[in-house]
Amino acid sequence: MTATAPTVRAFELTLRYPRRTALDGVSFTLHDGVTGLLGPNGAGKTTLLRIVATAIAADSGELTTLGHDPRTVAGRLAVRRRLGYLPQSPGFHPNFTAFEFVDYVAILKELVPARRRHEEVRRVLATVGLDGERGVKIKALSGGMRQRVALAAALLGDPDLVVLDEPTVGLDPEQRMRFRELVAESGEGRTVLLSTHQTEDVMTVCQRVIVLDHGRSRFQGEPTELAALAQGRVWTSTVRSPGALAAWRTGNGSYRNIGEPPADAALIEPTIEDGYLMLIDAAGTAKEAA
Amino acid sequence: MSSTGWHVPDEDLRRYADREAAPPWLWSVEAHLAACPGCRHRLADAADPDVVRAGWSRLDAEMDAPRPGPLESMLARLGVPEHTARLLAATPVLRWSWLAAVAVTLAFAATAAHLAQAMAAPLPFLAVAPLLPLVGVAVSFGPGVDPTYELAVVAPLHTFRLLLLRCAAVLGTTTALTAAASLALPGYGPVVLAWLLPALVLTLLSLALTPRFGPVTAAVGVGVGWAALLASTVRFDTGESMLFAAGGQVVLAIGAVLAAVAVVKVRPAFETSRHRGRAPRPETRRAP
Repeated sequence: MTATAPTVRAFELTLRYPRRTALDGVSFTLHDGVTGLLGPNGAGKTTLLRIVATAIAADSGELTTLGHDPRTVAGRLAVRRRLGYLPQSPGFHPNFTAFEFVDYVAILKELVPARRRHEEVRRVLATVGLDGERGVKIKALSGGMRQRVALAAALLGDPDLVVLDEPTVGLDPEQRMRFRELVAESGEGRTVLLSTHQTEDVMTVCQRVIVLDHGRSRFQGEPTELAALAQGRVWTSTVRSPGALAAWRTGNGSYRNIGEPPADAALIEPTIEDGYLMLIDAAGTAKEAA
Repeated sequence: MSSTGWHVPDEDLRRYADREAAPPWLWSVEAHLAACPGCRHRLADAADPDVVRAGWSRLDAEMDAPRPGPLESMLARLGVPEHTARLLAATPVLRWSWLAAVAVTLAFAATAAHLAQAMAAPLPFLAVAPLLPLVGVAVSFGPGVDPTYELAVVAPLHTFRLLLLRCAAVLGTTTALTAAASLALPGYGPVVLAWLLPALVLTLLSLALTPRFGPVTAAVGVGVGWAALLASTVRFDTGESMLFAAGGQVVLAIGAVLAAVAVVKVRPAFETSRHRGRAPRPETRRAP
């Protein structure tokens, strides 16, 4: 348990859209390091990230970010000066080069003197490994490179809090691996909140994980604790278990069963994915019962 | 090797190494150093390696720096700061395609007015001209029209300031083009300038409604309102409307002031995204 003051402290955050409740009383704290926000589509991840990033305000609840109250004009400005944000599907001016785009975002971040600003743009582009693509137009870059350009923009000014909304979506395995390395590096000495629906992202880079489902927090803890939720419930067998919550055939021909074991099954160590599936399924079952 | 045979004097190299060089002399020295291995070698002998590295880093940064396009260069010549010119140049509608569309629309409206010389007022021109800045402002900033809108909203630079900058750019260009088109209709007299105040009112009203309805819906609503108001006041045989007469223009001027006040009042709502931009309700619970 860390003794430092939390970067973000949220209490009972609630936000309702006209037809659904996006967040329903979510409380959590964030400290230095990478925290993964895991959940199925529509769980409320993007809504929560946009609240933390000051793009929108919650209907109710309490939020303190970097020691400031983002509901006030001064508090919001103070947070924005120490924030890096990579939104879901970030937009680009396609005719900008990588350098021009990051330079434009640097101006939005109030880095005004041209020489210092250009040095900072070079620094962040080098950080994400795009030294050689500075002069390439955004529209000519691959999806992975565009995501790195967006991450570079988020790292401008060395922010204390970085919010990344599903940054690995649409990337091929090699790009995802490279991007995870960058996220892990960027989490050193600062707080990173990373939204994802890929358990591999959580396994590889996150020190803590929050699971959201239907706008509610279902789990908060370390990734190993999430995996431990399925301890004693994951089995390998030669046949599919009819009573399992989830069962699938693996690459070596055996079946991986979560929940009730079939005959002749052997207990195996659970992964984060197993724990996540148990959690989401249990939440769904409870909701149906209610 | 320098093509001119000139090299940086020892004294100047020492001043450069001691960080006493200032622009534009600094740029001149660095440009020469970039092209002259001999002077670089002398500098490396004379200066702290950190100073040399920092100098090359600065030079690399300047060589990478975006080259200003025609619009930015023009704004810089008018005294607009470099960073503000860059913000303006990124306005989605400030493209040749948009300016060409405005020019073509004005040409059609002016031609139609020219063909209807029997009218006392150039109705097609006066009806269309106020809508052009309205459309331009609607598609210059907001979700769905600016690809970097979300980044701009959470940036420390006030969103309202960015919006006003872009509005000023759109209004400036459309006003210049419309004023030029007005010159093509000299036969109508001063009434040909009666589009100016409606353009201002419609644009400001649209801005005031943007936090609630979004830029496009607000502009469409205001545009429809303008069409209805014009249709209810115009005499189609002469093209005259009380809106284009002195009394109507005074009313429109008052409307512009009121709309400007409304824009200032809703200013805080621009600092967060539309729909969810309102402040939380006061009954929020306290953290333990």
